Amino acid sequence: MGNALQLLLQAGRFLLYAAVHVLLISRLQLFDVGWCFFYLGFLLFLPIATPIVVTLVVSFLMGFSMDLFYDTGGLHAASAVLLGYLRPWVLRILTPRDGYDAQDAVNIHQMGWQWFGVFLGVLVPIHHFVFFFLELGSFSAIGLTLLKILASTLFTGVTMLIVQLLLFPARRRR
Amino acid sequence: MRNLLDFLYRYRGFLVFALLEVVSLVLFIRNSAYQRAAFFNSSNAYIGRVLEVRTQVYDYFSLIDKNKALAAENAQLRRQLYRSDLAARMPDSLAASGDTTGTRLRPDTLLVGLQQLLTRSSDYPLVPARVINQTLRRVDNYLTLNAGTQQGVRAGMGVLTGAGVVGRVRQVSEHYATVTSVLHSKTNVSAKLRHDGTFGTIKWLGEDPTHVILDYIPRQNKLLMGDTVVTSGYNQVFPEGVMIGTVDYFAKEPDKNFWTVRVRLAVDFSKLTYVYVVGPQPRVAERDTLETRSGLRAAAEEEGGKP
Repeated sequence: MGNALQLLLQAGRFLLYAAVHVLLISRLQLFDVGWCFFYLGFLLFLPIATPIVVTLVVSFLMGFSMDLFYDTGGLHAASAVLLGYLRPWVLRILTPRDGYDAQDAVNIHQMGWQWFGVFLGVLVPIHHFVFFFLELGSFSAIGLTLLKILASTLFTGVTMLIVQLLLFPARRRR
Repeated sequence: MRNLLDFLYRYRGFLVFALLEVVSLVLFIRNSAYQRAAFFNSSNAYIGRVLEVRTQVYDYFSLIDKNKALAAENAQLRRQLYRSDLAARMPDSLAASGDTTGTRLRPDTLLVGLQQLLTRSSDYPLVPARVINQTLRRVDNYLTLNAGTQQGVRAGMGVLTGAGVVGRVRQVSEHYATVTSVLHSKTNVSAKLRHDGTFGTIKWLGEDPTHVILDYIPRQNKLLMGDTVVTSGYNQVFPEGVMIGTVDYFAKEPDKNFWTVRVRLAVDFSKLTYVYVVGPQPRVAERDTLETRSGLRAAAEEEGGKP
């Protein structure tokens, strides 16, 4: 019963993130070089104990649905799958001294600023780096691409912070 | 056997990762081929519907701009209708080609990118369409239009706007079409300079959405700042003489046989709303096929190529 509810909840989150991204966020641009990858929020904030195979499959599904809207074939999917693969590694490296509790989640209030900052600061730049260099297909316009990566990382990172601060329950860790 | 299953289970994360990554990359690479369209794309009926609804919502936020643009276009059309000098009207008072009754004095035309196109021409029918999705700052940019096979759009047709050339239709469904924009890393539009008719090829370098490069202009040719660059009409995608842009920088580089010419695009891609799809009838397309088969053209997919 609990599992079915959890599954339904995650399906709802998937649709919500995808819909908000396609309908609202995808048109936003930061100085013409930065985009907000809002849908990554769904992948980043999955429960900590999600099995890796499930993480990979939902990453692929999320990336692929974005590809349908952007006409990019498999570009979003490729970088999202990489993100899904790296996420458990980063979580393992960031494990607190006494391991994760059962109720722990990727939540800025529970895990603290430092933990969350490192989590975002590792995964988002790697995703953007792979995404923009795959899109470019070469190393020709390298300066502009690095600028795109930097601006998009800032944009996505700040948006993820806002989502966390606004929407996630503020139960402080004792 | 047991060992194999153990192995698969132990490395399931990496194996699934590798599988999905390969699938995505194959989809991505197949999609980035200029001509070959992906199986899944935004001309899909459901995706097109979502994009159309989104456009309807966004429209409310840009009504002022759209109204201004439409008013400007109306004014321009009216100027074409009521021309002050009668002299300019005289040559047009002959019957239009294909007008067997001879009753209509002037063929119905529309000024698209400096070129008067017949709205009901047998060679280039015009299909109006609305841009419902667009990228601008990617390396390969595409548009989605709300016109499809039902309106007479077919893959390979050209897309124009009042100001000039926009792109080429890539894939069509019943009510939607995806378009490869001029702002695509593999764009190759055959073009010429209007004042002396020198042929070249338009390319996009992938950074600046307001400029393209005009390649293959021989070094001995004289160039002028502000020269108008138009389509050559050598291939049958675009009618001849449609505006592409104006020359705004040129230089001789020591290691090249051709001028390096930068062209400022006439179309402002950041404000695209309504476009026209033009395309040849089968009779004209037949010429393309014939020339390709007899080796006059390198390949059917090469749009323009070297002059």
